[in-house]
Amino acid sequence: MTLRRRLMRAALLTSGLALLLTLVGFVAAQLITLRESTVAHQSSLGNVIAANSSAALAFQDPEAAREILAALRADPNVVAAELRDPAGSPFAVYPADASPLPVRVPEDGEHSFEGRYLIAAYPVVQGGRTLGTLVLTSDMAPVYRQLLVLGVVAAIVALVALFGAYLLSRPLQRQISEPIAALVGAASAVSGRGDYSVRAARLSDDELGRLTDTFNDMLARIESQLGRLNLHNRITRAIGDRQDLPSIFRVVLQHLEDDMPIDFGCMLLYDSASEVLTVGSAGPRSAPLARQLAMAEGTQIVIEPSGFARSVRGELVYAPDLGEASFELLQGMVQAGLRSLVAAPLMVESRVFGVLVAARRAPRGFSSGDCEFLRQLSEHVGLASHQAHLHSALQLAYDELRQTQKAVMQQERLRALGQMASGVAHDINNAISPIALYTESLLEREAGLSERGRGHLTTIQQAIEDVAQTVGRMREFYRPREAQFELARVDLNRVAQQVLELTRVRWSDVLQERGIVIAPQIELAAALPSIMGAEGEIRDALTNLIFNAVDAMPEGGTLGIRTCVVSRQADAGLPADEAVILEVSDTGVGMDEDTRRRCMEPFFTTKGERGSGLGLAMVYGMARRHSAELDIESAVGRGTTVRLKFAVRAGEPESVVRLPADSAARRRLRLLIIDDDPVIIDALREILEGDGHAVVAADGGRKGIDVFAAALSGPEPFSAVITDLGMPYVDGRQVAADVKALSAATPVLLLTGWGQRLLDDRDIPPCVDRVLKKPPRLRELRSALAELTLPA
Amino acid sequence: MPAAHVQARRRPRVRRIVLAMAGTAAAWAMSCAFAAAPEYQLKAVFLFQFSQFVEWPSTAFAQDDAPFTVCVLGEDPFKQYLDDAVRGEKVDGRPFAVKRLQRVEQVADCHILFIAQASPQRLDPILDALRGRSILTVADSAAFAERGGVIEFVTARNRLRLRINPRAARAADLTISSKLLSLASLVPAGPEPAP
Repeated sequence: MTLRRRLMRAALLTSGLALLLTLVGFVAAQLITLRESTVAHQSSLGNVIAANSSAALAFQDPEAAREILAALRADPNVVAAELRDPAGSPFAVYPADASPLPVRVPEDGEHSFEGRYLIAAYPVVQGGRTLGTLVLTSDMAPVYRQLLVLGVVAAIVALVALFGAYLLSRPLQRQISEPIAALVGAASAVSGRGDYSVRAARLSDDELGRLTDTFNDMLARIESQLGRLNLHNRITRAIGDRQDLPSIFRVVLQHLEDDMPIDFGCMLLYDSASEVLTVGSAGPRSAPLARQLAMAEGTQIVIEPSGFARSVRGELVYAPDLGEASFELLQGMVQAGLRSLVAAPLMVESRVFGVLVAARRAPRGFSSGDCEFLRQLSEHVGLASHQAHLHSALQLAYDELRQTQKAVMQQERLRALGQMASGVAHDINNAISPIALYTESLLEREAGLSERGRGHLTTIQQAIEDVAQTVGRMREFYRPREAQFELARVDLNRVAQQVLELTRVRWSDVLQERGIVIAPQIELAAALPSIMGAEGEIRDALTNLIFNAVDAMPEGGTLGIRTCVVSRQADAGLPADEAVILEVSDTGVGMDEDTRRRCMEPFFTTKGERGSGLGLAMVYGMARRHSAELDIESAVGRGTTVRLKFAVRAGEPESVVRLPADSAARRRLRLLIIDDDPVIIDALREILEGDGHAVVAADGGRKGIDVFAAALSGPEPFSAVITDLGMPYVDGRQVAADVKALSAATPVLLLTGWGQRLLDDRDIPPCVDRVLKKPPRLRELRSALAELTLPA
Repeated sequence: MPAAHVQARRRPRVRRIVLAMAGTAAAWAMSCAFAAAPEYQLKAVFLFQFSQFVEWPSTAFAQDDAPFTVCVLGEDPFKQYLDDAVRGEKVDGRPFAVKRLQRVEQVADCHILFIAQASPQRLDPILDALRGRSILTVADSAAFAERGGVIEFVTARNRLRLRINPRAARAADLTISSKLLSLASLVPAGPEPAP
């Protein structure tokens, strides 16, 4: 049921009830009045008749009494009358043929209504004596008929009045129902479409008008709250896409300027340690004003007088009218037309790190809702900044972790390669050992060799040397990284040449196939002092630098490698200083400033998938470990020069191993050779016996020890033991240990294809006096024997 | 024929009236038949009732609390009935008194005087004696009212009726209620009889 219908029903019910009550009251009053008037009329009639009847009663004259009663004929309402003597017996009746009254007769002077009849008794009194009673019966039907007519007329009037009320209430109830209908329409528009911009029309000035105003006011508040919420959400989403503080600030300020809107907005950064407030960033549209206010980005602001002192203590400051402010900065704002300002602190874990400043041109321009919004926004910005900070920290940690992981994987790969290379090198060394030994022996001892034969043998010897060197270099290159960083004398010229040779495939052969020419330009300083360093690392670094140079010259160019000495005379309290410079240059594409700045970062690469981003990082790590200066010069299109400057430590003497003369002090020795390779045993035996030594060979560790033990107790013990390292069942270490246990003075030489690795690993068994690489050089073998068997 | 129809309907009522009148007459005849006493008993009551419908001048009473006196002149026909009729009654706060007189000179304080069986010869001197006095004279002798009495009991068709001489009443300075007058037959107002 609609409101209109309810109102109509209420109005009609109320007025109908009122009319009905009035009607009933009217009829009742009319009934009472009519009855009373009937009673009064009958009473006066009765009293007159009674008074006139007194003589007739007193003097016993019924005829006279009947005549008196006959006067009642004048009143048609009186239907019966009876005169009674004091004893109650009828004395005279009217009309003459009236039947006795069927109803109770009331007392004298009383009256009663019986059905349609009014019955009343009137005493007949004369001189204070009651002579009898007159009973009158009136018919009330005419009275009631009159009443009925009255009632019907009144009812018709009431109905007409009700219809009038209905007609009148329609415009009246519209005054109530229409404002409410307008409210309902607005409310359903709001709830149905979610459109908070609708407003209910104000149709009256009464409570409904106020209700409409309140409703509209409420809608306006909801609308503005929704607007702020929406803005907050948009800012939140925009912030969510950003991870760095300046970007977050920029997007927040831009949204505030465009959508809140504010006339001026900027972010101040606060350093709580130094208590310095700096302008972090100003909104895009506020920037000109900020410069005018001397609040350009990066400007420091004095905290105390600027009015931001409370903000940096964590309070939201609202200055509704800047005209009252006395601070210089704020007065500047007033001059720029800004009149109200809100400064909201940006906090992370209750520590203020910045202030969000928003200002408007209107005084009292910020409502409490605006302030609350800015407070929440600043909290959110604080959190987002904190998250950005955490994110970057996490990213850093992740990058480091990834770098470490990559490095570990790389090392693992290199270690596996190194092991494989070492195994290959070992086998090759073993294989070429007899060749080297025989060739050297032939050249030395066979005097009757033809020129041509000698020439060929020399070539073979050089080839073997080359093979041994190549194998050695390969092993060096894949030297495991976990080896301790150990400084040794390094000749940079030699390293440079070595690396240049090793990388030749890269910068020459591969490119030539494609018709690209890279010309090496080598300038190595003569008499370059050696430096203290880890040769492997320097070699790796140099290799990387050369690769970079080659990669920078896809169209070909000049690859320069240069070494030189720079020295400084001692003066001004600084000691004399000398440094060696190693320089790699190219004439390639070069780097721009940004790339040059970032090129040291791990995993920063311009080579896409091909690059690991670790090359220059390794170079940098090497330089740092060597306390070397790393300097990069580059220009786009002109090329890049990387310069490494190593300090030379003065006063460190060159360690010179002076070998004894070849055959001068050669004595006859009794030697035990233990090896599982019969070819090597044969070669060694022949050569050493050629030198005049007595040689006993054992083809296994266990057998060798037995032979040594047997000889020890015999007349001729061995002067020295030469044993192979890698043998089945009992290896060289075990042999050495047993030999030393039997005779501590007997020198033990270990012959191994793993030689360099043992040295690096500091894995030289304590019982071994000397380790010799395979293939053994006759000279080295001889000098080692000579040294170790010198008489004490 | 409407007239015949009306006639036919009226006849039962006429018969009923006749029957009722016959009944009343029979009752009256029976009451007379019992004794002479009831006649005078009724007349005694009438004497009392006259005090209710007639007003006497205040000069008729010697003092304020003087009794209202009913006198019987001559041989008393009422015996005990008159005393019974007025016993305990009062008029205007005055008690009743009944006096029986032998001579007219004794009427000094009488207000109602019943003159019993007075012959016309005797009556005139009595009325003459009473002239100027406010006394209601009552008698049942024939032509009493015409001869100067105030109220005369008349028996007609076995009913006791009253004949009143208003001139005599006026002469006696008595005011008779119109109600009483309406019941009675009146002596026409002729020329004043010669004294």
